[in-house]
Amino acid sequence: MVEVIYAKGFEIEDQGNIKVITLKNPWPGTDKTFKYALVKKNSPLKNPENYDAVVEVPVKRIVVTSTTHIPSLEMLNELETIIGFPNLNYISSEKTRTKISEGKISEIGKNEDLNKEILIDLNPDAVIGFAVEGNNSAYSTLRKAGIPVLYNSDWTETSPLGKAEWIKFFGALFDKENEADSIFKNIETEYLSAKKIASEAKETPTVISGAMYKDVWYMPQGGSWGAQFIADANGDYLWKDSEGTGSLSLNLESVLEKGHNADIWIGPGQFTSLGEMKNASQAYSQFKAYKNGKVYSYSMKKGESGGIVYYELAPNRPDLVLKDLIKILHPQLLPDHDIFFFDQLQ
Amino acid sequence: MQTTAAYRVQFMLLLLVLIAAFLLNLSMGSVSIPLDEIISVFIGNGTSKETWRYILMDYRLPKAIMAMIAGGGLAISGLLMQTLFRNPLAGPFVLGLSSGASLGVAFLILGASAFGGFFGTLLLSQWSLVIASALGSFLVLLAVLAVTFRIKDTMAILIIGLMFGSVTTAVVSVLSYFSNAEQLQQYIFWSFGSLGNQSWQGVMTLAICFLAGLGLSIFSSKSLNALLLGENYAKSMGLHIKKTTFIIILATSILAGSITAFVGPIAFVGLAVPHLVRQFYKTSNHLVLMPAVLVCGALLMLICDTVAQLPFSEFTLPINAITSLIGAPVVIWLLVRKRKLFF
Repeated sequence: MVEVIYAKGFEIEDQGNIKVITLKNPWPGTDKTFKYALVKKNSPLKNPENYDAVVEVPVKRIVVTSTTHIPSLEMLNELETIIGFPNLNYISSEKTRTKISEGKISEIGKNEDLNKEILIDLNPDAVIGFAVEGNNSAYSTLRKAGIPVLYNSDWTETSPLGKAEWIKFFGALFDKENEADSIFKNIETEYLSAKKIASEAKETPTVISGAMYKDVWYMPQGGSWGAQFIADANGDYLWKDSEGTGSLSLNLESVLEKGHNADIWIGPGQFTSLGEMKNASQAYSQFKAYKNGKVYSYSMKKGESGGIVYYELAPNRPDLVLKDLIKILHPQLLPDHDIFFFDQLQ
Repeated sequence: MQTTAAYRVQFMLLLLVLIAAFLLNLSMGSVSIPLDEIISVFIGNGTSKETWRYILMDYRLPKAIMAMIAGGGLAISGLLMQTLFRNPLAGPFVLGLSSGASLGVAFLILGASAFGGFFGTLLLSQWSLVIASALGSFLVLLAVLAVTFRIKDTMAILIIGLMFGSVTTAVVSVLSYFSNAEQLQQYIFWSFGSLGNQSWQGVMTLAICFLAGLGLSIFSSKSLNALLLGENYAKSMGLHIKKTTFIIILATSILAGSITAFVGPIAFVGLAVPHLVRQFYKTSNHLVLMPAVLVCGALLMLICDTVAQLPFSEFTLPINAITSLIGAPVVIWLLVRKRKLFF
C-alpha cells in the first residue's frame, strides 16, 4: 500500500506483481470508481477485464491533458515522456516550452474535442485525462483503439496538500514511488511549518476575494481550496462560513456591505492594475482594500504563451502559495521569502 | 369603444403603479436598508453607513432607470415591428439586431485570443462590450436598410432579418468552438443580460439614444395607424411606404440596438408587452397604444428586476430568464382567458 494521507480521490495498492490505482472521485457528484492496473512489462495479468485500464509501467510515452499534470512530471524528471498535450499555449513551464519549440510535444486539439486521429497515431502508453462529467467521447474512442485512458481528478481535491499529493499518482506510473513520496514529504513539511509560523501571528487580517463579471461577483466558497489557503495563512476570509467547495456568485450589494472594510483583497479576477479595475466598475474603488492598494493578483505572472503560472504550478506547490499569502497577510513573519505567484496591483 | 377620458384614467393609474414599482425596486435588494435611511439619502442628507449611500445612488438607482428604459424601449420597438410587418410574432430582434450585437460581442470576447493583444486590452474597459455590440447591431442595421431600399415586400425584409440571425449564430458557433472555457462563460453571461453595474455616464448615453428612438416612433405613429390597414390602403392615403418603413426600422434599430448594447439581449419583453397592452386597450390607435406600451414595458422590467435580485438573499438571477419566466405565463393566461389575440 502506498500511503496517501491528504488526497481523497485515489488509493494505490501494491499487490506485488501489479499495482492497482483506485480512483474514487473521478468527477464531482458521482459514486463511480475506476480501477487501473499497472503491470511490469511482459508480465501477464489475470482477468484484465476487471480493470478500466491496464498500463505497462514504467510509462515511456505519455499524453497529459491538464497543465496541473506538468509540474508533477517535471519534478519526477519525466518531462521526456510527454508526447502530446491539448492546447499547448496553456503550458507556461519554461522547460516544457523548450520541448514544445523543439517539436517534441504534439498539439492534440482541445480537451473537449481531442483530435483522435493524431492521438491514435501517436500511440502513447497512457493518456491521462480528466472528466468534468462522465461523457468524453474521445476517451472511449481511444480505449477502443487499445490506448489506456486514466482519469486524474486532482482538481476535485479541496485541501492544498491533497492536490499536491497527486504527484504520487504519477510516481506509480513511472515506478518512482519513493521519489514522489520524498518530494511530497518536503512540500508537506514546508507547508506545515509555514502554517505553524502563521498561527503565531497576533492579528488576523480580514480578506475578500474575487471580482465581478457584469454584476455578479464570483468568489471562493468557504470549503474551497482558495479559502483553505487563507485560513492556513491565518487570515479571516469573510465568506469562510459559506458551504461548498466551488465558487459563490453574489451580487454587488451584499459583497459591498460585508466586505468594504476588509483589509486585503486576494485574487481580483483577471485584472492587472487598479486603474483597470476602476475602469471596469466604480464599485471596486469603494473597498478599503482597494483604497489602501492592498490588492494582490496571481494573474500577472504568465508563461511565454499567455498561460497563468498559478493555475499550472500552484496545485503542486501549496507551500509556495501559503508562504506568499503569509508574506502578504503578515509581512514581518517570513522576512526571507520572496513572493512568487502574487503581485500587488498598482 | 372606450372614451378618451377612460383611457386617461387608466393611463394615470398605470403611471401610479409604475412609480410604486420604482420605489419598491429601490427599496429591495440583498442588503436591507431602512426606509428612513432611503428617504434621507434622496433628500440629500447622509446615511449612517457610507456603503448604503453607494448602494442606493450608484447601484440601485441606475439599475432601476436602466430597467425602465430597457423595458419601455424594447416594448415600443416590439409594437413598431408588429405593426410594420403585420405579424404578431415580430419583435425588436427580428431584423437580426440582437444577432448583430451578439456577433460584435462574440468577436470581442471569443476572438480576443485569435486577434491578439489589442482586443484583450479592449475587453477590460467598461465600454468595450457596449461599443462592440452597438457596432454589431449597426452593421446589421445598415445591411437591413440597404435591403429595404431594394425590396418592396416587408415580409421579404423579415425573412432577410431572420437569415442574418442564422448567419451570425453560425459565426458565433465557430468562434465559440475555438475559445476557452473562461471566454465562453463570459460570452454566455453577456447573453443572459444584466441591468446592474452601470455607470451614470452609461445611463445618460442610453437615455439619449432612447429619446431619439422614442421621438422617431412618436413621429411615425400616424403612419403606423395607416399601415395597419394594409400597404395598398396606406398608399392610397398618401403614405410614402419606403420612407415610412425606413423611419420605423431606424427607430427600432436605435432603440433595440442601444438597449442591447448596454444590458445584453433581453428576450420576450418586446414581443409580449404589445400583446398584453392590446388585451386591455381595445384600440389600434398608436397614439393611445404607444404610451401604454412604454409604461407597461418599464413596469414589467422593474418587477422582473426586483424578482431577479431575490430580495434579502445574496444571490442574483439572470434578468433574461426572469422576464420570460414571469412574462410568458401571464401572456398564456391572458390568451386562454380572452380566447383570442387582439391584433
